[in-house]
Amino acid sequence: MLLELNHIYKWVKSGGRRVFLLNDLSLKIDEGEFLSLMGPSGSGKSTLLNVISMLDAFEEGEYYFDSEAVHDLSSKRKTGIFNENIGFIFQAYHLLDDLTVYENIETPLLYKKIKSSERKALVADMLDRFNIVGKKDLFPHQLSGGQQQLVGIARALIIKPKLILADEPTGNLNSAQSDDIMGLFKKLNQEGVTIIQATHSESNAGYGTRIVNLLDGSINKN
Amino acid sequence: MLKNHFKISIRNLWKNKTLSLLNLIGLSIGISSVLTLLFSVYAYYTADEYIPEKDKIVYLKTILKDGNNYREVPYPLLDQLVENSTEVVAGTHMHGWGNIWLEFEGRDFQKETSYANPEFFEVFELPLKYGDAKTALKEKYSVVLTNKVSQQIFGDINPVGKTLIGADTLNLKVTGVIEPISPYSSFRLGVLLPNTILEDNPIFKAQTNWSNSFSPIFLKLRANADITKLENQVDQLLKANYDDIATIADIKVMSFEAMRTNAIPVVDIIITSSIAAAFFILFIILVNLLNLNTSTMFSRTKTIAVRKVLGSTKRSLIIQYCIENGILVFTSILLSGFLFLSINLPRLNDTFGPEFGQISFDFLEDYPVVIGIILIGILSTLLVSVFPSLRFVKIPVTMGIKGKLQHIKHNFIWRNSFIILQFSIAILCISIAIILNTQIGYMKNADLGFQRENILVGHIDLDYKNIDVAQSKFNALLNTLESSPYVKSVSTSQSIPSDYYFNYSTYSDPVQNTDVRMRRSYADDSYLKTLEVPIIKGRHFDRNLDKADDHPAIINEAALKAFGWESIEGKRMKFKGNEESGYPIVGVVKDFHYQDLQNAVEPLVHIFRDRKRLEAHRFLTVRVQEGHEAAIENILTSTFNSIDSRKTYVQSRLADKVSGQYLLIEGILQTVSITAILAIFISSLGLFGLISFSAKRKVKEIGVRKVLGSSVSNIVILLSKDYIILVGIATLIAFPIAWYTMNLWLDSFAYSITIKWWMFGLAAFIALAITSLTLGLRAIRSAMANPVDSLKAE
Repeated sequence: MLLELNHIYKWVKSGGRRVFLLNDLSLKIDEGEFLSLMGPSGSGKSTLLNVISMLDAFEEGEYYFDSEAVHDLSSKRKTGIFNENIGFIFQAYHLLDDLTVYENIETPLLYKKIKSSERKALVADMLDRFNIVGKKDLFPHQLSGGQQQLVGIARALIIKPKLILADEPTGNLNSAQSDDIMGLFKKLNQEGVTIIQATHSESNAGYGTRIVNLLDGSINKN
Repeated sequence: MLKNHFKISIRNLWKNKTLSLLNLIGLSIGISSVLTLLFSVYAYYTADEYIPEKDKIVYLKTILKDGNNYREVPYPLLDQLVENSTEVVAGTHMHGWGNIWLEFEGRDFQKETSYANPEFFEVFELPLKYGDAKTALKEKYSVVLTNKVSQQIFGDINPVGKTLIGADTLNLKVTGVIEPISPYSSFRLGVLLPNTILEDNPIFKAQTNWSNSFSPIFLKLRANADITKLENQVDQLLKANYDDIATIADIKVMSFEAMRTNAIPVVDIIITSSIAAAFFILFIILVNLLNLNTSTMFSRTKTIAVRKVLGSTKRSLIIQYCIENGILVFTSILLSGFLFLSINLPRLNDTFGPEFGQISFDFLEDYPVVIGIILIGILSTLLVSVFPSLRFVKIPVTMGIKGKLQHIKHNFIWRNSFIILQFSIAILCISIAIILNTQIGYMKNADLGFQRENILVGHIDLDYKNIDVAQSKFNALLNTLESSPYVKSVSTSQSIPSDYYFNYSTYSDPVQNTDVRMRRSYADDSYLKTLEVPIIKGRHFDRNLDKADDHPAIINEAALKAFGWESIEGKRMKFKGNEESGYPIVGVVKDFHYQDLQNAVEPLVHIFRDRKRLEAHRFLTVRVQEGHEAAIENILTSTFNSIDSRKTYVQSRLADKVSGQYLLIEGILQTVSITAILAIFISSLGLFGLISFSAKRKVKEIGVRKVLGSSVSNIVILLSKDYIILVGIATLIAFPIAWYTMNLWLDSFAYSITIKWWMFGLAAFIALAITSLTLGLRAIRSAMANPVDSLKAE
């Protein structure tokens, strides 16, 4: 098992009352799964992804990642686990505007203090794999949305994460681009990467191995 | 990683070209002036560094009962002190006695000449470039030169052993050359001669008694010397010997290190204000960077969040930001170095050079300044990068990534206080400049009690080679001038306004036995008439009635009051202690400002001297009919140029000489004005940057407002009113401070203006006009933007 959430509660206070973002949510995810989180806006998909990524805290409950008790860990250790194991893909890509495609993909390696020669090899592999060698010196604004997301995925994958979290990865793309990205996800999953995506689209969810429906911060059993 | 940081930094700076350029300009100009100010302060404080054990060196200051004081003491005091005092190790006189003419291979030189004892080099262990300090002044006919003078006479060779002919008759052997001395040093050395040379001079010998004070003395004390004991010993010697003990209140032992500031009090003001100005400018540029950086951070929150997702630590983000600012700061330091060497330093020398001497920058010697500025650079970089970024790298990723910044407090309190402080400083400087400028204008244009216009001044104290020839040509010149229809009046005198000797002597009224310390000058019968100084009692000198041998005297009103006389009928005055019958007082002139308006009119006496004695006068003054100055000037110049003399004839106008008294204070005004301009300019640059940011942030708001029907002027007001209010508050803070400090300073002028409200009004107007213009330019651009574009951009 890769991760396990037990009775997670997350709330914010509004006018003295608790507004629950996650409400008694329990979920187990095995290694190699391709899970799709579905649900209407505000149902807690993004919040759940943030909690899983450890970028966001929760108020109550237990969270085990790779058998480590995340709820007991220091924030430094959590950041460490996140940096080692998790790649994040955003709906709005969030590429660094001032960096070229090559540099965007290289950046996580710089932070991991990987040697220059190894870095070059890894980035070259990644460019090759996604067929974007010809675009490596372009800046994000010179690319189409689909291409930007491709770079976003490449950047997330470069650290060889155990888990990919994708928050509406195709939300800004047209259907053809969307299918390409989903095809890619499926392939990655088959290569062994665990993927959790939040999505609105039934067809996207169909690429996954399991669908979890959220409603008001809880898993909708129906 | 470091390479990467640099790459990102340069791209970021390039991306915000306008802002980076604003920062670069502000920083370079600011730092170059900080560098200039620090360098001059450094040069000043280190100027005496080369004198070993200077903390053990003292001089004596005579303080009189009337409050005046001087450095000169009676000549025999030194020997007595060295002999009797337990505290003194060595001592030397150091005084001028006219600058000696030195001849070498047919060329004549006249340089600042000082006379000292052989022990001079025991007191001041100055490093010698050539020669031996122990023996340098032992021989009677020896001469020690400063490096500068040596180079002017001999060039780059070692001149020790060479012979100079001094005053046409003396064979002086060069025994030493002193290493270069900073122009800011307490020493004004050129040529150093042993005191023993003067002992052949009967006039000098006649002065070396206990009734004359013409020679300052310097003493080297033993370690841990007891100053009070020394002062007591001095006191005892004086009581036992001094003729004029009644007029002396105190003799103080003064530290040599403080001599410079005691000699020119305004130096203290220059140094303190330089330090203050450097600090102010530094503060203003740092505040700019700090405020602008904080503003830019808002647009960087997303990037910071993304980088954190990609595995960046907070530290790495901060380091990157430090490097970005470091590049900016150190590029500016480089640029400011060029500005400093090519513009500021030459300007500094133009301003203060005539008074203090030229200073130059030598990398090998002045490296502490370089280290200092680099340290300032590093500290500034840390300050302006760490503080703004610290707050932003702490923003949780989940917030930052969405650009949700509502929960970050827009902490404007600091920013606003900084802006207020910046502008307070700027407005303070502007107010000071305005007030000082008014004061200088007042001093220059004040009624001086004499007519300064249309008066030509010739410096006729020229060391004539043949005095008889010179005298006959001079007589002919006087005749020509007197018969010229364009010349209203001609006179000769020892002094002219702006150039009176500080030769205080005590005179007494033999009847009432009142003593008055006065300055004295000699003048012919028409000097006071030429200046058009009104007579209030008695009469002017008259060449038919007065004889020079009787020493008829005209005193000024101040002297009249000091004597307590009602009338001058039958009054005489005589040198204190002198048994002669004294000088008859023939007239009293209205007080006129014979020195600058920083000083009060002190008692002064003019004593009659025959016009025609060329060598007895220093100045020839000619009142000319307006419009004919040039013609008369030509006559004067050609006459004196035809006379064989050692000095070159100099021709000037009295009005210029009078204005020239304020050169130093005008230098201060210039420094203050430049600081004021810099302060307001750099602060405005900062505001320009800030309003650019708020305009960018509010682009959507502006668009919506325009769609809703807001006018351009409404939007300009919306964008700039907060800043204008801040500048308004700054004026309120600056005015009382300016008023207080300037009142304090103006008090030191004997004649000063009163500070008026319009001066502050003008300062406020200048500051507000400049800021409104800066803000308006940027605000109008945003306000004019087409709302369709700005709304689309969001």
